[in-house]
Amino acid sequence: MLHIEHYTKIYPGGKKAVDNLSLHVSPGEIYGFIGHNGAGKTTTLRAVAGVMDFTEGSIVIDGHDIKKDPVGAKRVTAFLPDNPDIYEFMKGIDYLNFIADLYDISSEQRTADIGKYAGAFELTGSLGSPVGSYSHGMRQKLALISAFIRRPRLLILDEPFVGLDPSASHLMKEFLAELCQGGSAVFFSTHVLEVAEKLCHQIAIIKDGRLIKNGLTAELVGDSSLEDVFLELEGEKE
Amino acid sequence: MKIKKFAALLKVSVQSMLLSSTNARRKSRKKAATGVGAMVLIGFLGLYMSGLYSAILMGVLAPLHMEVLVFVFMGIGALVGGLLFTTFAVKGVVFGGRDNDLLLSMPVSSSMLMASRVSAIYLENLVFSFFVMVPAGVVCALLSPNGVGRDLLFWVRLMIAAVSLPLLDTALSVLLGALTAFLSAKVSKGALGQNIMMGIFFAAVFYFSFNLNGMIQGLAANAAEVKESLSWAAPLLWMGEGIMGSWLRLLAFVLCCVVPFGLMVFGLGKVYRKAVTAFQARSARHDYKLSAQTFSGQKKSLLRKEARRFFGFPMYFWNAGMGLVLLLAAGIASLFLRDDLLAFVEIAGAGLLLPMAALVIGFCLCTCIISAPSISLEGRYLWILREAPVKEQDLIWIKVGFQLLLSLPCTWAAGICISLALSFPLWQAAVLLAAMSVFAVWQAVFGMLMGLYFPKLDAVNDTVIVKQSMPVMLGMFIPMAVLGISGILYWLGGLAAGWLALLLPIALWALLTALCTAVLVKKGPALLRAL
Repeated sequence: MLHIEHYTKIYPGGKKAVDNLSLHVSPGEIYGFIGHNGAGKTTTLRAVAGVMDFTEGSIVIDGHDIKKDPVGAKRVTAFLPDNPDIYEFMKGIDYLNFIADLYDISSEQRTADIGKYAGAFELTGSLGSPVGSYSHGMRQKLALISAFIRRPRLLILDEPFVGLDPSASHLMKEFLAELCQGGSAVFFSTHVLEVAEKLCHQIAIIKDGRLIKNGLTAELVGDSSLEDVFLELEGEKE
Repeated sequence: MKIKKFAALLKVSVQSMLLSSTNARRKSRKKAATGVGAMVLIGFLGLYMSGLYSAILMGVLAPLHMEVLVFVFMGIGALVGGLLFTTFAVKGVVFGGRDNDLLLSMPVSSSMLMASRVSAIYLENLVFSFFVMVPAGVVCALLSPNGVGRDLLFWVRLMIAAVSLPLLDTALSVLLGALTAFLSAKVSKGALGQNIMMGIFFAAVFYFSFNLNGMIQGLAANAAEVKESLSWAAPLLWMGEGIMGSWLRLLAFVLCCVVPFGLMVFGLGKVYRKAVTAFQARSARHDYKLSAQTFSGQKKSLLRKEARRFFGFPMYFWNAGMGLVLLLAAGIASLFLRDDLLAFVEIAGAGLLLPMAALVIGFCLCTCIISAPSISLEGRYLWILREAPVKEQDLIWIKVGFQLLLSLPCTWAAGICISLALSFPLWQAAVLLAAMSVFAVWQAVFGMLMGLYFPKLDAVNDTVIVKQSMPVMLGMFIPMAVLGISGILYWLGGLAAGWLALLLPIALWALLTALCTAVLVKKGPALLRAL
């Protein structure tokens, strides 16, 4: 589903944010991406989503090269940044329809999916209000709904659990699992290692822009915990 | 210690306003230099215009020993101009900053925070006041026969007046800004309410300006009566008499400025935290019932988003869309004032009518700057468009198209009305419409280019983007400069042949349109990607 090969990002000024990163995410897989602040997680996710240009390498999503066919790649992708700012001058329902229009989602499909996800996240009643009046958690839920209604082949999430209440987090995990059962894939970054350990089929650990370990969660963790493995790899635990 | 904190807060407010004008924080020195250069050019133009206006007034009034009226009229100009500029800023800078939560949580009193923000508005008004009053003083020194302008004390009094006047301006703009903020927070159709309020405000300003113009026209004949009739502007009369020598009148004027300002600062300081919270607090309703949704398609949906932002954000509408209002007003006024215009034809000569009509429409179009700030307004929302499956080229041209969707029909309406009012032959009306359409297209494309070259994505609020950001300044003043050059080309062409006079400006606009379109097509997507 997602093939990242020799991906390198150098910022203007020469700072190498990510260096020669390669990883593959298969259909039906939830892939966790963990690392310290500034390790290069968000830079990678933004490049995969086609939001940010990169220096070297290739990123292919469901057969679409993000550089050569960005529109094709984005059509099968949904990206949620860590702090999703949403047009405050729109009502919640207007924003969902705006996204649905950009992805050419039919009237029937959008009505059904908005009903399903907004109902589950208990946001239906607030969809008629301007986004400017939403709390942080409500905006996060709206952004999540806008991602799910696209039925993406690849869902890219940057710190998706920040700002969500426990029941919304639980719901989101259920919907992620449902999405993967349908053959899609999820690629997400998180600092919540317990969640990553329980949720992810595969995990990649990145440090200073370099991939230092990746593989199946069970193999990576073994008899230890992801937290121990992470701290050991980061050199913070003997 | 308190002064140190106040200075730090003031610096933040001023920086946020200045950075949106000059883009000085951008790493590219070339772009920063362009920004500073543009500000210098605008400053020069401002000084030139106020100097010219002062000289015209002084030329009429100095022989009558009525120099006082020059300062009264320039003072009114500074007051109204400052109000126009800063009333829009107050809602964003004083009440709606994105850094409100951060700064209100700091160990500084809310009244100090308010004072620092109001001071930033005052500083902006102060610049405006100096730009108007100092040239008036220079003109007085040069043209007044009584020699008062060459006295050092005259300049001391002028400086006192120039420093005091913005206090009154600031007090008025903060009150109007607070009303605007209140309306947008408390009225369900807040944007509509604000638009109506601003419409009334602008109508009053235009009415006042027309009347002022009438007063100036009659100055030479009856200056004394005009002075008498200005009793409603007594403080400004005291200012003029103060500058010209009466210290007592100057003191009265200073008090008229300081007292309202002091009362406003004291009163607002008491309720500032409450006001900021009240103006921000909008809670979501929970009564929406989902029904069948409809499909619109990408382009229609993107256009609708632009329309929602434009019409739903009164600051954007009134700052960037003023040209649309002016175009329609000019068209309708030309039909109603047909007789006056035809009388003008006899004085000016029929040959000047077409270029004059083009100049009026062109000037109105210059103040229609919708595409220029639209990229900066995306700001923190830019990720939504970037991750969407839409070509960058399409995103850019939809923004240009939105401006044209509004500006072209208004241009045509104004062109047809003016052509009818002035009884243009068909070919002249056709040339006018075609030429102004080309100018409108260039201006929209050029604005978009400025928006992409000088984006301001991290502004402290949207008001400073639409009011004073680099793309807006360049998108407005460079087309005005092009209009001026077009006038010169018309004159030069006219020396050779009548058809050449028409051809040269139109050729310039067509060339600029082709050039800017080519640059936008070639470099636009890369510029958008690089943001």
